Amino acid sequence: MQGTPRRGLGPRPPPVNKWTLLLCSFILAAAWGQMNFTGDQVLRILAKDEKQLSLLRDLESLKPQKVDFWRGPARPSLPVDMRVPFSELDDIKAYLESHGLAYSVMIKNVQVLLDEEREAMAKARRLERSTSSFSYSSYHTLEEIYSWIDNFVTEHSDIVSKIHIGHSFENRSILVLKFSTGGSQRPAIWIDTGIHSREWITHATGIWTAKKIVSEYGKDGILTNILKAMDIFIELVTNPDGFAFTHSMNRLWRKNKSIRPGVFCIGVDLNRNWKSGFGGNGSHSNPCSETYHGPSPQSEPEVAAIVDFITGHGNFKALISIHSYSQMLMYPYGHSVEPISNQKELYSLAEDAVKALYEVHGIKYIFGSISTTLYVASGVTVDWAYDNGIKYAFTFELRDTGHYGFLLPATQIIPTAQETWMAIRTIMEHTLNHPY
Amino acid sequence: VDPKRGCKVDVVFSTERYNQEEGEQRLGKCSAHVFFKNQKPRPAVNVTCTRLIEKKKREEEDQLLYKRMKQLKVPLDAASIPDSRGHIDASLRPIWDLAFLGASYVMWEKTSQSLHYYLVQLSSVKQWKTNDDAIDFDYTVLLHEFPTQEIIPCRIHLVWYPGKPLKVKYNCQGLQTSEEASGTVEGSAVAPTELSNI
Repeated sequence: MQGTPRRGLGPRPPPVNKWTLLLCSFILAAAWGQMNFTGDQVLRILAKDEKQLSLLRDLESLKPQKVDFWRGPARPSLPVDMRVPFSELDDIKAYLESHGLAYSVMIKNVQVLLDEEREAMAKARRLERSTSSFSYSSYHTLEEIYSWIDNFVTEHSDIVSKIHIGHSFENRSILVLKFSTGGSQRPAIWIDTGIHSREWITHATGIWTAKKIVSEYGKDGILTNILKAMDIFIELVTNPDGFAFTHSMNRLWRKNKSIRPGVFCIGVDLNRNWKSGFGGNGSHSNPCSETYHGPSPQSEPEVAAIVDFITGHGNFKALISIHSYSQMLMYPYGHSVEPISNQKELYSLAEDAVKALYEVHGIKYIFGSISTTLYVASGVTVDWAYDNGIKYAFTFELRDTGHYGFLLPATQIIPTAQETWMAIRTIMEHTLNHPY
Repeated sequence: VDPKRGCKVDVVFSTERYNQEEGEQRLGKCSAHVFFKNQKPRPAVNVTCTRLIEKKKREEEDQLLYKRMKQLKVPLDAASIPDSRGHIDASLRPIWDLAFLGASYVMWEKTSQSLHYYLVQLSSVKQWKTNDDAIDFDYTVLLHEFPTQEIIPCRIHLVWYPGKPLKVKYNCQGLQTSEEASGTVEGSAVAPTELSNI
């Protein structure tokens, strides 16, 4: 830097020993493995005439270079963009000002932008990976799950497709995976996870189950027979707004994120918003309650989307709605203790399913109707399903029984999914063998 | 017992050592009579157990635990234990254990015929002092209430002198009410707690 001709550039900066500078540069370069642009700015200059343009060209011809033109001086009508290293900023700005060259700061700190970009790229790379590098034993964000869905559908397009059934209150897509080996409007099985956003183990179990289905098709006789005659639908993120919120602000958020004018609290309990015993015991009319049922049945877009889809389809034979926690397998009703007409059959099926589950890792589930096993709850999914002709309507409460509760360690994801699969498979098999 | 005036529950259970090591035998067999009077919380509990760790050994273990806790460096911005993914750092485990102990007292006080609780998370630590012979622990927990599904924050202040009864003061925020109470609990922090007839 010493001995450089400084044509009209104001006071000389304090001399820096060039060896020190060289050493520092090497150290920096080694430490970062890349250039550092911290504090560098990009200035945009509008030259009024040729005279001003030539002043800028002077800067261009300085050796060593003090500025780095991103858009070089060409014509007076065109802006000139130049990156100015942090150490030269004061000098360059003084130069421009003293010559009446108007400029604006386009980029205040180049390094910040580079860092942001690097992060975005890393993020995109994570999202881009195929499903084989997706970790099934970790919890994921909404973006990661939606990205996995796209990869999954692409990789197994012979039997899986993605259906968009509606939008959430905050306008997120509501997606359903369809598993089908053909036919048209085959008798179908519905599985939903994540209707309560804080129940993270349910989404994780759903994803693993989807993967299990495609890998067992052609291998597991029972599953193969099921898919020969029936279709399976899985809605992994039934409450996407709530789920995004559990990642961003409140890990224990349960409801959706709907807002109503004049209402102080946010959100409706999506598992109290169904049209069966709506507004009864075990749900609340206070919007601030965690079991607020909403202003009317199906008022919530997340619920309405499913209702429209299932009734539009018209051929669903089983519905499984997955929650956590408590380790229970239950059938209707939630809104009353009155037994359903095929109570004996469902009791027996639940017993078999729970036994199959137990045989995997020794985890004990209790079973029975919702109202007699857990508590009275009105406007729940399975009650609606049953009243709409779906005879095999079940709801799970997955692990555990309160030790970790909603905050179930990720190490338990795969064991939970493995045992739950055996119960789901039992229910699906029974549905296949008892057509109606 | 007249169901309108109260509810009696008989419970038989076996206990195990908290943080039980591999291969350790399950401990005592206990039977308890629990009586909820007039739908009110804080049931009367009468417990008898056999085959618990003997008193002298309990006191030794309490002292050991206390010594270990005195060494702990508790980051005062220790928030969310366990974290969103259910993970508890091994070094912070004793704090969680003690927080759980205090919270279990609060949960017993709040439990009624119709409401029961689980501990979700230690959400913040206001203070962790180990002066003289005691641990002075001021913290907030989140309780999960059944069947309402509400998440109840409770501020708890406990003081533990090993060998002396645990002193617990707490203040919980409900949807409608804010209740405060305090009490002392007999028992040690290590072995399964004997709830005496209170």
